[in-house]
Amino acid sequence: MSELKVVRSIMRSAPSFADELRARSDSELQLLFKLRADLIAPVPSDMTALSIRATSGPSLVRAIESLNQWQFEVLEACVALEEPLSIKSIIAATDKAAALIINELIARALLYKDGEDLRAPRALRDMIGTQPAGLGPVGPAKVKFKDLDEAPKAAHEILERLTWGPPRGQVGDVRKKGTAVAWLIEHHFLIPMDQTTVAMPREVGLFLRKGKVHKKITTTAPELVGEKRKQSEIDRAAIAGISNVLRWCHELMNYWAEETPSTLQAGGLGIRDLRKAAEHLGVTENCAAFVAELCYLSGIVVADPDGRVLPTSAFDMWQLKTPEEQWVEIATLWSLTSRVAGLVGKADSKNVNALGAELDRVNAAVIRAHILKMLLERAELAPSLDSAQSFIQWVYPNRRGGTLHADLVEWTLRESEWLGITGQGALSSFGNRFIEDADSIKINEALPKPVDHILIQADNTAIAPGPLTIEIARHLSTFADIESRGGATVYRFSESSIRRGLDHGHSGDEIRTFLTKTSKTPMPQPLEYLISDVARKHGRLKVGYANTYLRCEDEATINQILGDKRLEHLRLRQIAPQVIISDTESRETIEELRSAGYFPAGESNTGSVITAAGQTRAKSRPKPPRIIGEATEPSQTILNSAVRALRAGEKASARQPQRGAEVPRSTANETMDMLNKYIGEEVSLIIGYADTNGGVTQRIIDPLSISLGTLVARDHGSGEVQHFRIPRITGVTPA
Amino acid sequence: MSDGPLIVQSDKTLLLDIDHPLSTDCRRAIAPFAELEKSPEHIHTYRLTSLGLWNARAAGHDAEKVIDVLIKYSRFAIPHALLVDVAETMGRYGRLRLESDPIHGLILISTDPAVLQEVVRGKKVAPLLGAKIDNETIAVHPSQRGHLKQALLRLGWPAEDFAGYVDGQAHEISLVEDGWHMREYQKLAAEGFWHGGSGVVVLPCGAGKTIVGAAAMAHAKATTLILVTNTVAARQWRDELLRRTNLHEDEIGEYSGAKKEIRPVTIATYQVMTTKKNGLFAHLDLFDGHDWGLIIYDEVHLLPAPIFRFTADIQSRRRLGLTATLVREDGMEGEVFSLIGPKRFDVPWKEIEAQGYIAPADCVEVRVTLTEHERLNYATAETENRYRVCATTATKKRVAIALAKIHENDQVLIIGQYIDQIDEISSDLAVPIIKGDTPIKEREFLYNEFRSGKIKCLVVSKVANFSIDLPEASIAIQISGTFGSRQEEAQRLGRILRPKADGRGARFYSLVARDTVDQDFAQNRQRFLAEQGYSYRIIDADDVFTGKL
Repeated sequence: MSELKVVRSIMRSAPSFADELRARSDSELQLLFKLRADLIAPVPSDMTALSIRATSGPSLVRAIESLNQWQFEVLEACVALEEPLSIKSIIAATDKAAALIINELIARALLYKDGEDLRAPRALRDMIGTQPAGLGPVGPAKVKFKDLDEAPKAAHEILERLTWGPPRGQVGDVRKKGTAVAWLIEHHFLIPMDQTTVAMPREVGLFLRKGKVHKKITTTAPELVGEKRKQSEIDRAAIAGISNVLRWCHELMNYWAEETPSTLQAGGLGIRDLRKAAEHLGVTENCAAFVAELCYLSGIVVADPDGRVLPTSAFDMWQLKTPEEQWVEIATLWSLTSRVAGLVGKADSKNVNALGAELDRVNAAVIRAHILKMLLERAELAPSLDSAQSFIQWVYPNRRGGTLHADLVEWTLRESEWLGITGQGALSSFGNRFIEDADSIKINEALPKPVDHILIQADNTAIAPGPLTIEIARHLSTFADIESRGGATVYRFSESSIRRGLDHGHSGDEIRTFLTKTSKTPMPQPLEYLISDVARKHGRLKVGYANTYLRCEDEATINQILGDKRLEHLRLRQIAPQVIISDTESRETIEELRSAGYFPAGESNTGSVITAAGQTRAKSRPKPPRIIGEATEPSQTILNSAVRALRAGEKASARQPQRGAEVPRSTANETMDMLNKYIGEEVSLIIGYADTNGGVTQRIIDPLSISLGTLVARDHGSGEVQHFRIPRITGVTPA
Repeated sequence: MSDGPLIVQSDKTLLLDIDHPLSTDCRRAIAPFAELEKSPEHIHTYRLTSLGLWNARAAGHDAEKVIDVLIKYSRFAIPHALLVDVAETMGRYGRLRLESDPIHGLILISTDPAVLQEVVRGKKVAPLLGAKIDNETIAVHPSQRGHLKQALLRLGWPAEDFAGYVDGQAHEISLVEDGWHMREYQKLAAEGFWHGGSGVVVLPCGAGKTIVGAAAMAHAKATTLILVTNTVAARQWRDELLRRTNLHEDEIGEYSGAKKEIRPVTIATYQVMTTKKNGLFAHLDLFDGHDWGLIIYDEVHLLPAPIFRFTADIQSRRRLGLTATLVREDGMEGEVFSLIGPKRFDVPWKEIEAQGYIAPADCVEVRVTLTEHERLNYATAETENRYRVCATTATKKRVAIALAKIHENDQVLIIGQYIDQIDEISSDLAVPIIKGDTPIKEREFLYNEFRSGKIKCLVVSKVANFSIDLPEASIAIQISGTFGSRQEEAQRLGRILRPKADGRGARFYSLVARDTVDQDFAQNRQRFLAEQGYSYRIIDADDVFTGKL
């Protein structure tokens, strides 16, 4: 395409794209907005604004990313071909199935109609690049393909190498005569790009590719392979997954309420705390990170400002919901979130922590949606990881490079299994209803019914043969330790667990009554004894706080003091026949007692009587204030050594070379002003420049330009162009 | 979802509801691969361990079968991950095999070169291996067979041992069933062992483990070495073998402190085997100096460390371990498994009781309240002496004597840990005593007098903890023990579990000082029995004096 043509096409294309949009029907526009939602966020003011937004870089990137492999190939072909395009030419360059795709691209406003022709927005060409599908630049002159018959053999080889891209090649020197390259250049089969680079013009490329743009096109997604499963088995595995994941969330919250972890300084949960949580739940660290993230997403756990990770009040509300409500909440949040729990603990993602700030990945939710759709379309199939990965690669090609795409597929499959959306790798009927947004997912019906009883056994264990109702579970766990978890729960009673119950304010009788009421089996005698033994011992030793004690061997005096109305304000309390305690300070108590007519004496902590009660002493250590003011006269020794030190210092500095001229100093603003003023003026400036060791040197420079906080200037010292970091420049003066 | 009797927990324990109609079928189905951990009255606990699963593989069960059983009997849906884990664990067994090769002798062979590579790199395994023969085969010195198996097991790649056993020197041994018959479970135990090659049989005290040993010998028909805990037990074994088999007196030798006879069937004590002379174990060559076809370890839970080490060297001989209580307070159960062999047979005590082969037992914990003076004494004692102080109080002694008097018409054993204490009781009650320094002859005499009923009451120290067969003893009074030892408690109960001629039940009194460490230890001691379904009832010492038992 000649330059003139390009200019014309630009001039025409912008208004005509807006016109074409204007001409679209309401339903077509609605479809466009459905496919490219970012176009109406916010709603543009008019069609011109819409056309500008639709051809803006960020919007095009999004639109291109949402294309599958085949759609993208067609689009690439459109960009590679010369405008105006026709459906026929596009089909010729690709496949006849492209007709459908063209409509899809038009719907997305990635192509637009110009009368009978089709056009691609100019910006799209820039976005896809100058070498679509590995085709070279548009050549300046017409090529006579017939000439090829006379081409030297080496020339054919060169062309063959460049045919399927990359279209550029390195040669020794394009000006060298008599070579195959020279022949090709002469006959316009190659264009010289610079002294050592040649490129194959696009029309030559297309000709050699026999009119096709791609070597191989994939009009359909690769077949998914995997194992066939039975729906009943899938559902059985899935319901186990569902009950597990809910239990995990529940247990993790209860565990963190007891053993509260702290966030790292960088935010997020440390690996050690994650490991502990994983151990507690009996799952892998990956799975623990996943559960922690689920809880975080649903707001039932939060990192407090003081860095403690604690369940929130939402957790209490969450517990009151039915299992189905709980599950739908976490599954929905999981499918929508951009946070990727799988990144935690991945070898090359250090400092990425659960509940941390580094987990967001833009394409995570899209990949999840694609995978769920993929599973939905293939009932009873558990796709293998490889095949799922290549399938997703077709549906949602990875255009950014990196391995995350494949990882995300793996993690999504793994997490859907944990969530019970899949069972044994295939979509469960719960997952199906979830994706289809059914009114009821029928989880409550499928989960085992909660039981309201336990079985107590003689070995001091109790077994809940199913999920316990929340009240019973909560009550029981205050005075029994959980020994084994799963469909059932095994509790163990021990001295310490019973004591914990008593500490929580239950009495021995309460525990016994509760157990007798809840247990289907009679309470074994040893357990009854254990409870009453601990209850008997519990609280026998009492600990409290008092400031002062009063001790008197004469109990009559003690009683008299207790009955004395004048001493009521001391709030005396008798703890033994001969001992009274009080919260008042001992000095005050003694004085009050004296004024009430008693004869108390102070007692030291060894039990001896403090006789010199009048001499009060501070409790703090001596801490005299510093002396500020005239220094006292120094001693002769100090004077001598001071003089010696001074002399030594003198000698040392005398030996130092003379400092150079003063380095210029100016404020940052002055520096910038001065530099901007003299940029490109060919005036020499003197600057002070701090080196990496902190020393400041003086340089004479000619400033050339400033960019990214760096001054580019010619240094008179070295005669070379150098880069100076502006923050390091201490000052500037004209030379 | 089925309403099965089994609940599969996420920590791989299996809870079996024994009140469920399918519980017996389920028990039978899971027994080959799950290990019985405890069997209290309502819910039995089994555990899926790698060892158990590998055992099942060795016995010809595949992962599919195991998973089918779990799914069939499970009450709730089983997490897929757990099933996958089971399949993977079972898949590890048999990737490595130990075989004997006509040219290279003992070889380690694998069809999976990657696995072989992995184990060869193992630090503990490498020194045990010989030259590499090809990509799939490595030579092994026969003396390293046991050590290699242990090391591979720890790496998680158990080797299947196809190298077989030496037959040993043949010797005709057969059971002579005149007037008695082998019980069903004894037959199953002996066969289970024989097909497994080597291993441990767990049966309750008094359930006739000696007969299982005799049956194993009859299978082997070869010279046999039997290792027992003490001389009295050695003589009991001899008597039992004479009664149950065609062996003659001169075919059975005793190898103990007193005698050093080596005969086709030799019964040796652990003590003599581990006696050191000039820093060397003088008698250990009894093991490999003779061509034994079978080695029986009685009370395998007490096996001392030197015997373990030596057992590792004789992996080509068949080994049978017998015990009632496969719990070791030192946690060396794993060593028993890898060196003697896996558990081949185990049955809950209560099941044998239900079949009437052991006497039903009533376990009673008697809570003794110490006097003010004793409490003070206890409170001020050094920590290490506390148990002794509370276990040997005069109050306890008075209660023990009162109990003995209540049961003066029964055959009573009074068992204690501290010699001073049992000496006093013996003199106060004027009954004979057996302790460590009692000569073997006198011990045998006293046991015989007790068996025949001439002596009604016997005071014994811990020398009578195991192996001593006292059929008619029906009352045991335990006044003190080795701190919190679970197996001691079970073994002591075992002394009175032989079924009585008149079908009486047995009663086991354990005297515990209230509010002392004695009580804490008692709780630990009772755990094994509680897990076997024995429920202790607790009475107050005052009830003893008022006769309310």
